[in-house]
Amino acid sequence: MSTPSVNTSAEIPAGFGEAAFEAFLTTRDEPDWVTQSRRQAFKRYSELLESELNPEEWRRVDLRALRPDRFQLNAGSEISKDSADSKHAETLLKDQAEFAGHVTHIDGQLASSDLAAELAAKGVIFGDLATVVREHSDLIQKHFMTRAVDSETDRFSAWHAAFWTGGTVLYVPRNVVIEAPLYSLITLQTEKAADFSHTLIILEEGASATLLEETASTTTENLGLHMGAVELLLAKEARLRYVQLQNWNHKVWHIAHQAGRVDNSGFLQWTVGGIGAKLAHIHQDVVLDGRGAEAEVNGVTFATDKQIHSFYTEQVHNGQGTRSDLLYKQVLRDHSRAIWRGMIRVEPEGQQTNGYQRNDSLMLSPTCRVDAIPGLEIEADDVRCTHGATAGRVDEEQIFYCMSRGMSEYEAMHMIVEGFFQTVFDRIPVEVVRETLNQAIIKKLGFGR
Amino acid sequence: MYTSDFEEIASLDEFGSADRLEVFIEDTPVLLIRLNEQFFAIEDVCTHDGQPLTNGCIEEGVIICPRHGARFDIKTGKALCMPATKSIQTFEVEVRDRKIFARPVN
Repeated sequence: MSTPSVNTSAEIPAGFGEAAFEAFLTTRDEPDWVTQSRRQAFKRYSELLESELNPEEWRRVDLRALRPDRFQLNAGSEISKDSADSKHAETLLKDQAEFAGHVTHIDGQLASSDLAAELAAKGVIFGDLATVVREHSDLIQKHFMTRAVDSETDRFSAWHAAFWTGGTVLYVPRNVVIEAPLYSLITLQTEKAADFSHTLIILEEGASATLLEETASTTTENLGLHMGAVELLLAKEARLRYVQLQNWNHKVWHIAHQAGRVDNSGFLQWTVGGIGAKLAHIHQDVVLDGRGAEAEVNGVTFATDKQIHSFYTEQVHNGQGTRSDLLYKQVLRDHSRAIWRGMIRVEPEGQQTNGYQRNDSLMLSPTCRVDAIPGLEIEADDVRCTHGATAGRVDEEQIFYCMSRGMSEYEAMHMIVEGFFQTVFDRIPVEVVRETLNQAIIKKLGFGR
Repeated sequence: MYTSDFEEIASLDEFGSADRLEVFIEDTPVLLIRLNEQFFAIEDVCTHDGQPLTNGCIEEGVIICPRHGARFDIKTGKALCMPATKSIQTFEVEVRDRKIFARPVN
């Protein structure tokens, strides 16, 4: 079933052309169906490169400076423990709480992983996708890019499907409840390294889990590329809390397709934190398939300097009596830019839907820019759907008032920004995530001053 | 962050018969323009909608955004009419031995 010869010391040419793809395949030890799906995706990627991107999603995102030929995949040789330890990424979440297991990737390759023995005994699988796809091939084949992220969506999803390097897999069997959070760290270490991580979470009926995932760079200078995907699959009455904190340095390009599907009476709480990256674009779909499925989506982003944070979100109500609630809070400073295009789509079967989406942006400088575009597409006639977006500057009188009470301008600004984020913090039940985001904001407020 | 040193961005041979060339200076898209055998370089992003100026008409030292008609002076970067209100970044250009160098104008 596996490829006959695997050469993990092979040098993969820079870029993502045919030579790089064939060299990359020689470094992989994986089932035939994976190789075949990669070949199919690469063919599709090559075709999609010739066609225009969906203007609704991409017209405001300038990709000219991306230049993929600069980036190089790691050949897959073992990341040594020394290497993993010698250059610590500046993580925000690690060591902040007791985790029931962790997975760490460096430059797209597994560095370390573990899982509490009692959870493994209950049938929980938590580890690196490249390993799990060999050990549990049938399970992964059933769920990997079959229901949530579609490799045909655009050139980026096809690119990811052809070149995915590793990623975190969490499988929780029926009625198993994991109380303590699990932790996944994705780091970029080498100059011009590319990370194609794929996060796949499968919760069977009645299962429950929390996964905190963080992306981080080991240096502030190294250029990097993250072409990722996240798939969250919740069966009937499953409950998942998933947090992704994007904290790359300001030279990393972060492009990701992320999708969650929720079955009958399932509950997905999805929190996205965006602090780092040169340009981050996330295509985020939440699909409520089953009757009574619920999703709560929280977004907290803070852009400074010339960063660009872009989100294309979609809440899809396929089932009856479903509820979605999306709240994004975005702060900008300097010459940064935020783009948010949100859509609630209700299919004809989605009667008694309750859909909500809101995006608020706070601009700390006159030179930053926000484009927030909410939208509704409703094909059912018995629904409640509301949406809205606001954008504005910090009120000078509020700062003046705070300063007249003895605060410095910095303290006043922090209080106003913290207050702005508070409504979304109140929705995040994991204290370590709230505290970590707050610390990241404090740090970022001091950046460049 | 830009450095103040000149950076090699293109050669005269790359121009051919074209009047403009798309280049990058530290990941910033820059439009290098040849006008009456003089060279100008501007950040290739309209300050109104954040999209490229690449294919904009150039008339009497002014580039016109192909989407909404904003006009920018290619020498100073100044926004000359609505809907743009902010100037674009310009670059100082030098030609030495058929190589073109540029650095940002503060």
